[in-house]
Amino acid sequence: METKLLTEFYHLDEFRFLDGYKKNGGYVNLEKALKMQPQAIIDEVKASGLRGRGGAGFSTGMKWSFLPKNNEPRYLVCNADEGEPGTFKDRLMMERAPHQLIEGMIMSAFAVGSKKSYIYVRGEYYYPVEVLEQAVQEAYKAGYLGKNILGSGFDHDMDVYRGAGAYICGEETGLISSLEGQKGQPKLKPPFPAVKGYLQKPTIVNNVETLAAVKYIIRDGAAAYKKFGTEKSPGTKLFSLSGNVRKPGNYEVNLGYSLNDLINNEGGGMKPGRKLKAVIPGGSSAPVLTAEEASRATMDYECLAQMGTMLGSGAVIVIDDSQCMVDMLGVLMHFYHHESCGQCTPCREGTGWLNKITHSILEGKGRLQDIDLLVKVADNMKGRTICALSDAAALPVLSFVTKFRDEFEFYVREGRSKVRGSFYAQMHH
Amino acid sequence: MLETAKSTFQLSAEGLAEVKKELARYEIKDSAIIPALYVAQKENKGFITTAVIHHLGQVMDIPVSKINEVFKFYTMFNQVPVGKHHVQVCTNISCALEGGRELTNHICHELGVKLGEVTADGRFSVSRVECLGSCGTAPMMQVNTKYYESLTPESAMNILRGMK
Amino acid sequence: MPKCTINGKEVEVKDGQTIMEAFYKTEEPIAHYCYHPGLSVAGVCRLCICDIEGNPRPQIACNTVVTEGMKVSNKSDKIKDGVKWVLDFHLINHPLDCPVCDQAGECGLQEQYMEFGKYDPEMAEHKVKKHKVVDLGPTVVLDSERCVLCSRCVRFTDEVSKTSELGIFNRGDRSEIGTVEGKKLDNKYSLNTVDICPVGALTSKDFRFRQRVWYLKDSETVCNGCSTGCNVKVYFNKEGFFRVKPVYNEKVNGHWMCDEGRDIYKFLNKDARFTTGIVRQKGEQTEMAPGALAKELHKEIKAKKDQVALVLTGQYTVEEYDAMVSSMVKEFGISKIYHWVNNKESFDSFDGLLLRGDKNPNTKGLLQVLEKHQIKGVWGDLEAGLKNKSIKTLIVAGPENKAVFDNLETHVKLFAQAEHLVWLGSAKVDSLLNLNNVKVSIVPLKTFVEKEGTFINAAGLEQKFKRATTVVHEALTLTETAILMSGKNLTVPMAQIEKPAFLENKRRQDQVMLENRKKNEFVFKRGSL
Repeated sequence: METKLLTEFYHLDEFRFLDGYKKNGGYVNLEKALKMQPQAIIDEVKASGLRGRGGAGFSTGMKWSFLPKNNEPRYLVCNADEGEPGTFKDRLMMERAPHQLIEGMIMSAFAVGSKKSYIYVRGEYYYPVEVLEQAVQEAYKAGYLGKNILGSGFDHDMDVYRGAGAYICGEETGLISSLEGQKGQPKLKPPFPAVKGYLQKPTIVNNVETLAAVKYIIRDGAAAYKKFGTEKSPGTKLFSLSGNVRKPGNYEVNLGYSLNDLINNEGGGMKPGRKLKAVIPGGSSAPVLTAEEASRATMDYECLAQMGTMLGSGAVIVIDDSQCMVDMLGVLMHFYHHESCGQCTPCREGTGWLNKITHSILEGKGRLQDIDLLVKVADNMKGRTICALSDAAALPVLSFVTKFRDEFEFYVREGRSKVRGSFYAQMHH
Repeated sequence: MLETAKSTFQLSAEGLAEVKKELARYEIKDSAIIPALYVAQKENKGFITTAVIHHLGQVMDIPVSKINEVFKFYTMFNQVPVGKHHVQVCTNISCALEGGRELTNHICHELGVKLGEVTADGRFSVSRVECLGSCGTAPMMQVNTKYYESLTPESAMNILRGMK
Repeated sequence: MPKCTINGKEVEVKDGQTIMEAFYKTEEPIAHYCYHPGLSVAGVCRLCICDIEGNPRPQIACNTVVTEGMKVSNKSDKIKDGVKWVLDFHLINHPLDCPVCDQAGECGLQEQYMEFGKYDPEMAEHKVKKHKVVDLGPTVVLDSERCVLCSRCVRFTDEVSKTSELGIFNRGDRSEIGTVEGKKLDNKYSLNTVDICPVGALTSKDFRFRQRVWYLKDSETVCNGCSTGCNVKVYFNKEGFFRVKPVYNEKVNGHWMCDEGRDIYKFLNKDARFTTGIVRQKGEQTEMAPGALAKELHKEIKAKKDQVALVLTGQYTVEEYDAMVSSMVKEFGISKIYHWVNNKESFDSFDGLLLRGDKNPNTKGLLQVLEKHQIKGVWGDLEAGLKNKSIKTLIVAGPENKAVFDNLETHVKLFAQAEHLVWLGSAKVDSLLNLNNVKVSIVPLKTFVEKEGTFINAAGLEQKFKRATTVVHEALTLTETAILMSGKNLTVPMAQIEKPAFLENKRRQDQVMLENRKKNEFVFKRGSL
């Protein structure tokens, strides 16, 4: 069953506009928030147990409290560079409820003491950018942005920045580099963005869904928010369900929801005559689960971590028994090779190497030792680089090869797919 | 590359004004590189040349190497000419599962071009791209700024044929 | 001043210094490419990983600040294995074209592979193709396939030369260093990018394909290209000098030197030099041994001392000035001594980094010696003296590097107004051999690499340097010339001059030392293969 907290009014077209948003409870809680002590908001968010919805799942309140306790100017940046393959929830949120995000951002900015925020949207999202820019203007006109917001004495400016096509800009320091007009290459940590971020100033980068959720924590209080979800993964989460299911789409459910139910109830189950083979539960970087593992999984940070994978961005990619896992790994390796920013050697060279090995297997030129070589290369890319893209490329390799080794071995021995036969030549030219 | 270097480029008055506006919009002027490249690309038939980079370097007073770094890093800046309708088909995992690659092949075949090529009439170019965040409505394509979702090979071709 | 231990060695570093700097201080080996002490930290080669006690994940040494009591090690099997793999990642797309690569023999990839290599290559795929022989500008050529994308050169042009010609274009393993077409790598410090390139990606147009580095010896000295006095290393062998590279000196040049300074080797080689004593009278030219010629001049100077003048350039050592000036003053009572200033207009200019307008290594030294001997002659006196013929014999200690003497030819014309022009100098000045209305005696001198001495730079810093080698054996130093001209004999035994006096250099133990080189000229340095 869906639990519609953030998405309650998403079916209403008017929710996109200021009037419709206000009619459905919009900006009421902003007034409430601006009367609170900023630290009280931080405490409330901390108490709610809200965890970052972009991928890493780090405690939002904790992240905020890393900011230096002084009057140094600081920035709030909304990460709307939704690029993790399989994820399309932020797009929905921006298209259907831009004011929900803006309201959450103003509250968050007030809490952390930021006078300027950016919404960094991936470049391909022309329409969401259009909607957001319009909404920001509406908010300025209505006095929710600008000087002395609602008479509180709090000033805040907001701007929308469009990226230009780079997965790596979803990494918070890559995003900051991009916002600074550079290549979107992640920066060395330390210093962390909360200490030195955008323009070397303290900066908080939060995902769209995270910032939007702040509004509901202020509205209902941390205790009420914690009633949703599990103890360690409180709240609801939007899951982007895609792949071989009958009803793909975004579904908001309690964290801790059964993956089986998500696929079979919300997703309408597998297509006729098809059986579940595997599920990638948290975007393409998350290690894959077998059908058996998927039947036991619940969609929360701790269960998935226990199963050796992650909740990530909440992109659930369903793979049925007509698919070849070697082929799918080929698709993913092409992606990571394409997206590696190129600064750290293990990732720059490793992603290319993994892609080449996978594709030589797909071309029927693989050697048996290539399967182990994939594992060795992936193992040596893990944890060796500035950002997590290297790990993101390595983890699918390790899980695909370990869990579906028979398909890889068959492919190498026979020169064709165990599932799909000789299909590769038509697929890639 | 050599051919394009010989070409010249100059922003229109409106384009220049837009770039100047972007230069003043952010805390640092480097942040205006991406917006400026968008403006210039639009005015240069959809792709960027060395001449564009030099012109922007001059207008923005930023080293050309830095502008070029940005240009070559982001995939939305085209390094080669594109058609009037630039068809970008997603072939990442969710779309691949639902026939994104077959769709790409079909479109290429029907339009008679290979990936990265422009049709003889200059109307279309096709490229395969990574995830565009439309995974629940796979397969999909983006033509210039617009998304077309839940496609079949036939519906995609119908859409394309309907474009002027 | 936190203390830490590096592989068990305790070391104290300055506040804010990194583990990498602690490794440097203890001289413990650590692999790295992107770290360079003169540039910002990039942290991209990922080779300098090490274990820090209490930290579950390996950290990179270059970006981790030392804290009190930190225990760091890079000796565990996990780290060693990690470094092997990261090094292999550097090599999988490297062309391994060492036999035709100029960097071979001094290459970071070769050196670090010896120590940290995997020795079990597993890459069986096609390598990435990139641009080769890219003309980056007037001084540097790029081979992108050899490049390990450490970004040192890009950081150099951004941070040191502040010219930002270079960038890294494209992403992933398609990334390439480059310039934008129409904007060359062209600045006064461009060749430093070649020095800091750890591999053979950036090579110097001047040095490319001229010598294999293992056929070169090197010696540290002080650049005589301008009054900054950058500490440099000159590289040479029997065929002559081939290149100049900077040597770190915090007080003078840091890690860098200018491109102009790299050309100083060109006037050291035989073809640019006077190699024998020459006497030219009424269009007739005879050759003489330099020592004999200098000695013969004694009589004339002694006889005509009131009509003798001396011109000095700022190109010689303090010791030589002192010997020459005191011999003139004390032996002959000559005080008509003048300072020849080249490029007068730019003499005091400074570009803020290293380049100074005073293109002499020792103007300060010369002025100090002149002051010591209370010489107060001004250039106008010389011009007047020549014009009114009160100066008949003119001794000129000319430039070593004639390229920086813009006014050389006009001054030769001026000097030719004397009856007898005694030219002391190493550089071959052709116009001297075309003078027919004046007697010309030319005493060939040694260059700064063929002698030891002291230069005082623009900042007043005294820098002593040692002799590297001898190119023209017969040539004299200015001191020797002064001794001979004052009628004395040289007390320095010739044997000592002949003996090679190479400076200690930091070669690894497994490399055959220079002495052994004589045994087999062409397999010198085989030890490490």
